[in-house]
Formats: sequence, C-alpha cells, structure tokens
Amino acid sequence: MSELSNDYEAVKDRVRALLDKQTEGGHHTLRRIKDMVAKHSIAIGGVSVIVAVVMIFFYLLYVVFPIFRSAEITQQQVYSNVAQAPQLWGMEEYGEIAYRLDDAGQLVFYRADSGAVISEEALPLTADEQVSSVAYANREEAIVAVALNSGRVLLPKLTFSISYPNDQRTITPSIEYPFGEEGILLGEAAIVHIAAAKNEEYLSLVAVDENANLAFQRFELQESFLTEGLELEQLTEQAIESDFSVDYLMHDPTGQWVYLVGKDGSLQSYWLEDDELQPNERLSLVAQGVSVTDAKLLLGGISILVGDSQGNIAQWFPVRDDTNTYRLTRIRNFAFSESAIVNITPEIRRKGFYAIDAEKNLGIFYATSHREVLQESLPELTDASEIVINPRGNRMLVTAGSQIEVWSVENEHPDLSWSALWSKVWYESYPEPQYTYQSSASTTDFEAKFSLVPLSFGTLKAAFYAMLFAMPLAICGAIFTAYFMAPKMRSSVKPAIEIMEALPTVILGFLAGLWLAPVMEENLPGVFMILILMPLAIIAFGLTWHFLPSRITALIPEGWQAALLVPVIILIAWFCFAISYPVEKLMFDGNMRVWLESIGITYDQRNSMVVGIAMGFAVIPTIFSIAEDAIFSVPKHLSNGSLALGASPWQTLVRVVLPTASPGIFSAVMIGLGRAVGETMIVLMATGNTPIMEANIFEGMRTLSANIAVEMPESEVGSSHYRVLFLAGFVLFIFTFIFNTVAENVRHRLRRKYGSL
Amino acid sequence: MTADMKLDLTPETANNGVNLEALKDEKITLEVEDLNLFYGEKQALHNINLQIPEKKVTAFIGPSGCGKSTLLRCFNRMNDLVDIARVEGAIKLNGNNIYGPDVNVADLRRNVGMVFQKPNPFPKSIYENVAYGLRLQGINKRSVLDEVVEWALKGAALWDEVKDRLDDNALGMSGGQQQRLVIARSIAVQPEVLLLDEPASALDPISTLKIEELIHDLKDQYTIVIVTHNMQQAARVSDYTAFMYMGDMVEFDKTDTIFTNPSKKKTEDYITGRYG
Repeated sequence: MSELSNDYEAVKDRVRALLDKQTEGGHHTLRRIKDMVAKHSIAIGGVSVIVAVVMIFFYLLYVVFPIFRSAEITQQQVYSNVAQAPQLWGMEEYGEIAYRLDDAGQLVFYRADSGAVISEEALPLTADEQVSSVAYANREEAIVAVALNSGRVLLPKLTFSISYPNDQRTITPSIEYPFGEEGILLGEAAIVHIAAAKNEEYLSLVAVDENANLAFQRFELQESFLTEGLELEQLTEQAIESDFSVDYLMHDPTGQWVYLVGKDGSLQSYWLEDDELQPNERLSLVAQGVSVTDAKLLLGGISILVGDSQGNIAQWFPVRDDTNTYRLTRIRNFAFSESAIVNITPEIRRKGFYAIDAEKNLGIFYATSHREVLQESLPELTDASEIVINPRGNRMLVTAGSQIEVWSVENEHPDLSWSALWSKVWYESYPEPQYTYQSSASTTDFEAKFSLVPLSFGTLKAAFYAMLFAMPLAICGAIFTAYFMAPKMRSSVKPAIEIMEALPTVILGFLAGLWLAPVMEENLPGVFMILILMPLAIIAFGLTWHFLPSRITALIPEGWQAALLVPVIILIAWFCFAISYPVEKLMFDGNMRVWLESIGITYDQRNSMVVGIAMGFAVIPTIFSIAEDAIFSVPKHLSNGSLALGASPWQTLVRVVLPTASPGIFSAVMIGLGRAVGETMIVLMATGNTPIMEANIFEGMRTLSANIAVEMPESEVGSSHYRVLFLAGFVLFIFTFIFNTVAENVRHRLRRKYGSL
Repeated sequence: MTADMKLDLTPETANNGVNLEALKDEKITLEVEDLNLFYGEKQALHNINLQIPEKKVTAFIGPSGCGKSTLLRCFNRMNDLVDIARVEGAIKLNGNNIYGPDVNVADLRRNVGMVFQKPNPFPKSIYENVAYGLRLQGINKRSVLDEVVEWALKGAALWDEVKDRLDDNALGMSGGQQQRLVIARSIAVQPEVLLLDEPASALDPISTLKIEELIHDLKDQYTIVIVTHNMQQAARVSDYTAFMYMGDMVEFDKTDTIFTNPSKKKTEDYITGRYG
C-alpha cells in the first residue's frame, strides 16, 4: 500500500511540475492571445456587418434625399434693361444667349449674363408694318410666329449653332425662314393675339384681330423635292366671328385645341374636327368678382394655368366625361399668395412653372407633384416684371424695373413629392385621380408618373400568392417529416428539399415564364382540378389506408406510409391533365380563358398564379427547413409526457409539440416572407411586369425589386427617375426591416411563453 | 484484498430468487409473464416473471443499465415509441394482456400513469398542466376542471404553494415543485397504477423528502411502481422490492426481507453498496 502511495505522490509531483512548466513556458500567454484574437475578430466581424447595413441604409438615404429638397436660386448679375417690354424675350438652351424682339421687328441677340449685344437681325417688315403679337409655334425648334399689324404672320426660326474655333466653344445665333420670308397672310385687319402650333406634320395659326374676329389657318407640311425644304399645303382657312373679348389666346402643340380667355374669367374653347375649329364649351374659370390675371399653357399644351387676382393659380385640363365629350376641369389649385398673380411662366421641358405675385414674391411650382418648391421675396420686382427661363431650367432672367437680374436656379426634382409618390394623382388626360407608375414614354412632354403604390402593392401581392402556395405545403411537410416520418426516410427527404434552395431563382423564373405559364394557360381546367382534387385525393387515400385490414397496412413499416403517396400524386396530376380538355369543352365552351374573360375576369398568361407557384417553390425549402428543425427539436420528454397521460400522437402534436415549436415555425414563415418580398428574378421573368393595382390572381404585377432591375439600366444617373428607383430600393429595405422586426418581436414573445426551446 | 470481496458479476439465469409467496395476502394488479424485450438484436430483458400488488409500493432497484426502467416502461407500453424495441410475453393488467391486439394504447396510458426522471411540465400554466389529461378526454367544463385541478394539486401536496398562481407558467416553478406538478397531472386522470421512474434523482434532498412523503400518502389509492437508484429511498418508501441485474430479475421479496436477509449474494453485495 505504501508503495502505491509513493507512486501516487511521485506522479502528482511530476504532473504538477509539468503544469508549472507549461505556465512559465508561455503557453498561457499564447492561450490568452488566442482568446483575445478570437474575441476581437468576432467583435470586428459583427460590428462590420452592422456598419455595412447602416452604410447601405445611409447611402440609399443619401441618393434619395435630394428628392425632397426645395429649389434654390442665386443672383449672379444685374444689368440695365435696354428695351422695356419686348414682344418676344427668350433664352437658348444653355442660358448663355438671350434674345429680344421689339415692335419694329428688330431681333437682338445678347449675352444673358452681361447684356452685351452679340448680333442684330431685322425681320423683313415693310415700312408701315409693326410687330403686334408674338408666340412660339414650336418652342423646342425655336420657331416663332410673329404677327404684324398688317395681318401678316412671319415664321422665323432662331438657330444657335455651336462651333469650336481655336478650341473655344462658341454659340452663333442666326435666323432662318423655313417657310419663306414673305410669311402667311391671315387677314386684312391688324392682329392683336397670335397663337401657333407647328409639329411634325402640321402647322396651324390662330389669330384674333382688332375686330375680335378669329382667323384660323392650317397647313400640312410637305418636303419639297426640289429644294429639300418644307412646303406648306393649306388645309383650312377659317374665319370665325366672335363677340368674345380675348385677352389670352392659346393653341396647344398638337393643334387640337384653341382656348380664348378673357380677363373676366370666361373661357371659350374650340376643338379641331375635320380640319375645322368647332366651338366646344364655354365656362367661367373664376368666381364672381375675381379676374384672371394670367393664363398660360403648361408644357404639352394639355393643361391651362390660370392665375387670378386673389393669388391662386389653378390647373385645368379637358377630361372626357360619360358622354364622351371633353369638359375642361379644374384639377388642382396652388394657393400662392394673398395678392394678384402678375405673371406665370411655364418651364420648357417640365410640367413646372414660375409665378410672380403683386407682393413681389417669386414662386416655383410643379403641377404633377402639386408642390411649391420655392417661394422667395424679390423686393426689386414690379408689376410689369417678366421671367425668362432657359430650356434646361437652370437660369432665369427677371426684369425688375430698369434692371435685368440674372439668377441661377437649382431645381432638380420638383416632380417628386410625398403625394406624387404615395397618393392618387390626377394626371393629364386621365379621367380621374389614380395610382400609376409609368416612368418614361417616347415623347419629351410626357408627364412622368412615379406612384410607388402599384409597385408596393405588386410586391405584397406576389409575396402573398407565393406564401399562399408555400406556407401550407412547407409547414405541413415539416410537421409530417419531423413528427411522423421514419428517421431513415427523413434523412433522405430533408436534404432533398433543402437542396431545392440551392436552385438559382433565375432558373425557376425561366421555367415559370417559358414553360409553366403556357402549360397552365393551355390546361387551365386541369390546373384547377389539381388544386381541388389533390388535397381531396390525398385525404381520401389516407382514410382508405386507415381502414384497410392490418394484414395489408403491416406491410409498410411505421413512418414510411408517405412514400405510398408518390404514385397517387403522379396519378392525380396525370388524370387532371388528361381530362382537362374534355372538361374545358363541356363546361367552359372549349376555352376557359375566353370563358373567364366573358364573365369579366382578365387573364394574362404570366400571372400571379404562375408567380405564386414558382416563387412558392423558391420559398418552400426555407420555410420547410427552419420549421422542421423547430418541430424536431421539441424535447422528447415533453411529447413522452403527453403520450404517457393518454394523449394520441395527434393530440400531442397539436397541444404540446406545435405550441412549443411555434416560435421556430413563425420565424420560418417570416424569413420565407422576407425572401418572397425581396425576390427579383422569378417575378421579373414570370410576370408581365405591368404595374397594375389588381388583386386578381390571373393578372400580373410589377414588384419593387423587379422594377429596379428593369429600369435601372435605362435611367439617367442623378435624374428623378434614378432617385425614384433608389427610393424603391429604400422602401424595399424598410419592408424587410419591418417584417424582420415584427418577426423577431413575435418570436421572442412566443419564446417567453413556450419557454423551453 | 480478501477473497470474500470478489464480486459475482455473472448474469443470473434462474428466477429462483423471485419469491411470489410473499404476495399471497395481496390482490395482484399487474402480472408479468415470461417477458422478453429486445432492442434490435440485443436482449434487454430476460424472461421476467413478476407480480405487482395493488395499492402497495413496489420498488425496482439495480445497477445502471440493468433494465429496471425498461421494465417499468413496458407497463404503459412507452417502449412502443422506440422503433427497434420488440416485446415477447405478456403483461396483464387486472387479468387483461396489455400487449393484446385490441388494446388502445392511449387508454392504457391513461390508466397507467407515469412520472419521468426529469420533471417535464408542459410550457403552459400550472392549471393547464393539471387539466391537460382531462382536456385530452374531451372534458372542458370549467367547474369540473377547477374541482379536479384543486383535488390533484392537493393530492400532490402542491396546492398550498401554488393556489394563488395557477395561471403562471409551470416552467417558473422549482424542480421539486415541477415534479410534484407532474405527479398531480398524472393523478388527475385517475390512473390505477402510477409508474415513477427515478422521480427524485434530479432533485435536492428536501424536495426528495417531499416526494417520498407524497409517495407514502398516495399508496392508499394507487398501485405504485418506483424505479430508484437510491437504496435508502427504496427501503423508506416501498413495501416490496425487486432487484434486477443485467436484464434479469434476481430477487423479489418484501422490502424488509430484501434489505435484512437477501437470499442472493448479488443482492446483498448491491445493497451493501459494493457496486452499483
């Protein structure tokens, strides 16, 4: 015994010496360093993930933020105004050269920033002729209709050619006469107001003469074979006698509408029908006692802006009513000021406008977004002040008494506002206010429609139908696999479903769009029968199996019965497709699609059902895997406890296992939902990407994410469109953020309640 | 080391240590006849023959892995849940074979309640835990449930401690309280037999004492079978004791006899603490 204890002591000493050596030999230091490195690298990893997410968040905000900034103007120069009240006053594209036309027909080009004259041109007027009214026939081409007191109208075109002599950018203004120098004779009487419209095919001129009669001439443009110039072929010459006292005359660029407005607020409109002007309607634009102080057409010529003596600017445009006639309707009102509006100047490339009131305030507005982007008091303004804006909208000239003030304008995104993005907007030519997303069109005077509502709706719709398909399948599958299935079968089923997650969604989208959608369209009754028959058949099979004699059921080991369903499912699917056509013939007049449309249900080939199924497939593995883990990890001692109390397996499942696993199942669903909301490729390929607001399962949608993917390549960097796409991304970010936060909170609550997991 | 310290570690083959004569004055609730149990290829119980008397406490003792828990789990067919387990022979509850073809396992388990080693209250309120077994049977009437919950909690000596917080989550109770709650949950469905699988092994001494007192109180109404590692516990609470070793029933007799005058040397070695 003592020998043993000696040995024991010896070993103890030896080990202790060894341990001391390890401590002194720096092993502990190394261990401490490893601990420290691990601790800090994990911390750095975690913090950088948070930093990355926060940076993404702030970058999105940074790109989106300019949308909501107001405009800014800065005064650059002031110089003396040589010519008071010219007939025409304007600026070319870049705002470098301004021009004015005086009563005598002298056209002066001068530097916009200093007033220094560049060149002067005289219009070909005869000695006793004087310019009496001027209007642009086409603002983009700078074709001007110059009306004379002789009844003649000249049509000069101002050109600004850019050249680079000595590597110096030089803009040379000049004047051309594409329709000849002699002009067009509208009548014998002096013209008081002129309005003109020149487009690709037609030129039309409207004039009001000193006798308040209306003269209208319309021409078709034809290319001359000899001179390669344009020749005018007259279509109409019309004289309308009128008792209307005209103060503002407007003609829209398409040549369809003519509006006569008097200071008292009365308006007479004419409408072009068979090349003749027909009176359309007569109405009063303002209330009793209020007078109109300015009226201008907004870009595109659809809307009229009417400024009145009470400081309101109203936007009107024709809306087609129930009887299919156009009625001019007051769309929105900009309550600018308490005093009268002095002047309204529409922007040249946007649906925005500048206005001045009698209290010397300048306001900058935008029609679509119903937004006042700037209001600033300019004390030097007078009641006769006028504004000129260059087509790019970054420079403004203002007459202030005997001075001209040059201002630079920073006004990038007046077309976006909270209401333009999230409320119903009454767009031009629409019968009523709507949620519409249409970011671009072929014409330049197009009113961009940036409502994010249809896109958000589409996102939720796609996610909803996907979840409708995926949730029951994934959760029921998870319950069966975790709770009833034999372990051996489970060990092959679970990885098989999880591997589906690795399937690129672009392939799912591709299959859905190019294979599933046409198949579904051709076999629509079959698809519906599968949806109805499949669950019924599976339940019926289960019942049959339950009542079969145990001699037969014993052949299949416990937990393997699910495998028997495979042939049943295949058989049902085949059967449904096989009788699809006969059923279609019998019940839906041979074509279910047409039948659906006859009862008022629109059917698109690439619809929400296709997306629901395809995206459902993408989401099923996520939900299944997490939910299965949650159910499987419910402690066995809980379910045993329930069984030992005389519960059936089903009672145990419903009363103990599922409540205990509910936090996990819930997070599975929310993670699946988050994935469905952010999914891009499947919705992109399996829907028509039409941004409509219909819950109909047979129609498509456009989601926020698909919209970004579709439009980002075509959007100009820094434009409103570009920022709206970033905003869509930001909204998507917020969506997933909300879903995740709610999910996490609910999960924690469930977890507290059903503590043991 | 002296020769008499050598232990007999060979399996027991004969059942001659089972003294069923000791039960001649008792009414028999459970009868085990030629029971063999296999886990796959491995035999876990060898030819067990045993009788469990009514309204008495029968303790199963033996070293770890001797099969005492396995045998206990045969009484309410919990071994059915183990895929590879296979049972031969018969167990008769009041004369009816519980392994017969027409037996409803859920009904059997209601009649033969079980308390596990680790307290396993459900993640529900105390009230719902006790009412659970009744709700399973479709009894949802509040007045009935109230009555039974109070009765069962009193029966499990828990009522005074929890009567003011019946709606609290059961997981907030101490281990000993949880185990008594599980016992209350079991007796709420009025079983004939109560199987206790090492009910106090995860508890502190005070809780253990309370459980033992509870067992003592309950044996007037229930046939109790308890598996325990703790010899003193078996001696304290049981009327009859069965000693098992490597899947064999080595000895069965009145507890007094087993602990004072065991007929087998293995039993003596075990109860004197030479192995186990």
